[in-house]
Amino acid sequence: MTCLEFERDLPECVEGVPSPEQQAHLNSCPACSGLLLDLNSIASQAKMLSAAEEPSAAVWNAIEERLRSEGLIRRSEPVYLPVEAKPSFMQRWRAAWLVPVAAALAVVAVVKLYHPTRLNNDDAKQVQQPITSTAPVKNASAKRKPALSHEDQQWLSTVAARPPAQLAKFRSDLDQANAFIEDAQESLQQDPNDVYMQQMLMNAYEQKQMLYELVVDDSSH
Amino acid sequence: MGDAMSTAKCAVRFATVLALAGVAFGAGENRKDLHFKVGKHPAISINNPYGPVVVKAGAPHEVVINAILHSDKVEIDQSQSHNRIDIISHLLQGADQYSGVVEYQVLVPADASLSIHSENGPVHAENLHGDLALEGGNGAMEVLDCGDGHVHVRTLNGPVTISNVRNGHVEVVSMSGDVSLTSVSGPYVAVNSNTGKIEYAGDFGGEGEYSFTSYAGNIEAVAPAYASIDVTARSSQGRVDSDFSLEPKHTPFYAKAGSYFSGTLGKAASSVKLMSFSGKIHLKKRQ
Amino acid sequence: MTDARKQQGEKLTEAEAIERAKQGDAAAFKVLYDLHKRRVYSLCLRMTQNTASAEDLTQEAFLQLFRKIGTFRGESAFSTWLHRMSVNVVLMQLRKKNLPIVPIDDTLEGDEEGTIKKEPGAPDERLAGSIDRLRLQRAVDELPPGYRTIFVLHDVEGYEHNEIAEMVGCSIGNSKSQLHKARLKLRELLRVDRAEKARK
Repeated sequence: MTCLEFERDLPECVEGVPSPEQQAHLNSCPACSGLLLDLNSIASQAKMLSAAEEPSAAVWNAIEERLRSEGLIRRSEPVYLPVEAKPSFMQRWRAAWLVPVAAALAVVAVVKLYHPTRLNNDDAKQVQQPITSTAPVKNASAKRKPALSHEDQQWLSTVAARPPAQLAKFRSDLDQANAFIEDAQESLQQDPNDVYMQQMLMNAYEQKQMLYELVVDDSSH
Repeated sequence: MGDAMSTAKCAVRFATVLALAGVAFGAGENRKDLHFKVGKHPAISINNPYGPVVVKAGAPHEVVINAILHSDKVEIDQSQSHNRIDIISHLLQGADQYSGVVEYQVLVPADASLSIHSENGPVHAENLHGDLALEGGNGAMEVLDCGDGHVHVRTLNGPVTISNVRNGHVEVVSMSGDVSLTSVSGPYVAVNSNTGKIEYAGDFGGEGEYSFTSYAGNIEAVAPAYASIDVTARSSQGRVDSDFSLEPKHTPFYAKAGSYFSGTLGKAASSVKLMSFSGKIHLKKRQ
Repeated sequence: MTDARKQQGEKLTEAEAIERAKQGDAAAFKVLYDLHKRRVYSLCLRMTQNTASAEDLTQEAFLQLFRKIGTFRGESAFSTWLHRMSVNVVLMQLRKKNLPIVPIDDTLEGDEEGTIKKEPGAPDERLAGSIDRLRLQRAVDELPPGYRTIFVLHDVEGYEHNEIAEMVGCSIGNSKSQLHKARLKLRELLRVDRAEKARK
């Protein structure tokens, strides 16, 4: 066997056992023997590189923040919304009172989902009868008028001076946004691990937040 | 060079037409022309409660604004801070949705970032490659032939149309406005609607992440036979249908309540999620 | 579980942490993250050569995992599930940036020149025993992207050629030939590095 022939079969040799012919060549050729030893050494030492580095603390901080904002962290630590953690479209807050409203929305969502006995009176008005596993979920396409929370009423008061037709449209949008939130919450009560419904709930809050922002923006002009 | 010439010619033609149209202005209407010199990647913000805003790509380093004010109950506040331009239609005492109308025709550099807010006016953006943020109440929002940047559209009730946007990051939030995406692809395309319909016609290209979610609006996606997607569709109360025979995929997910389908086409390069609470979902094959 | 144990999340076993994470326990998420962060991050760093990108991809891999943790049924080892997800996240990123993952149809056949250079009288300079982690890391960083991907997936992370072929979209033969070329290139880089050090 020549060195060229040996090299052609080298990949299998590195990861396996040399054949008798290959072994005979290795016994007589220091160069090929050295090459095989080096390649074996590289392959085995490569495992040192696995799990050799550590990410900065910022990575976990970012993960934790996202988990909280997505509602995946629900226990062990208090829920809070640091101001810096707001998503980009929240940078357009014009009315200062909307900031605690956003935090209140998130807190209410978490409380409703996982600690129903802690509901306060205002929130209790929004909660429908508990859904049992045999009761069908309400028909979402029917127009519903969930009861308004204190924050919703405060928001409507900021736009009370708008024309009646416009005000009626805002109220209709608000009802639809609240209906989405309610339906998503009820579904999650039946199956808290439903990741799709968790995403739907976050989308529902995003819609309501947009509604608050856009209408207040218009009012300020 | 050819493009610069044609956009410059367009600007001249545009200004000429406006000048000739000056005699057609009604009583109380007046016109205002604004010119700004800018550097690369300027940021332009237009806040116009009532009236249309049309923005197109013009010459580099120049922003041209032609505005028609419908009455003396509205004025234009303008400011420039280096590369940032702010335009506000300022409503005066007694202004309403008719007397407060300002019509804007704007030419900006193609790499400009735009922020436009209009309550009832239609907004149209065309041929731009910077970041776009459009917000509206009832007016139609149109984005055409844009790409490479972020396109964010938020609307309460006005329809949204996005066409031929490639390689962009697209996000749309709508309460009841219908959303129509045609030939839109990129690393991230997301639509979040309450009751508005979501319609998509394209190839789900760009190895991107596509997420269409609605509360009650129907979702219809039309894709070609060669689409390469990993698709999941689910509606808690509505019906879901697919024209495609999907390859089943190995996934730790288990089927939830409601209607559901999941699978892959081709090499599953893009991820597609179609989710609705009560709307119908239909993944159609393009004929 | 007692309150004392709740406070000391790091004392949870992986299985306990998984179950508690499904319930939304913040400490449990942290336990899982701490158990696997080095391996995921090292993989991302080896493949992207950029600490900022590696941190972003690490974040993305864990977020994808935690979002889906409610559906983990234990059919495979948790670490295997996480690791596969991390590899997919990195490969997706490389594809988005149009970076080469593996050269196409590049095999050893037809390469007639060979690697062994006969130098009569030259000392037998073996690398074995002189490879340390830092030198090897530097050499891997210098590999062409396509070689580096296959080497990292096979020799560093332990994937088989059939798994690599499926993940990166190449043939098993291509994976084997690229791995071999990567190792040959590393040998060359390490010998040059050692020779330079010897001269200083």
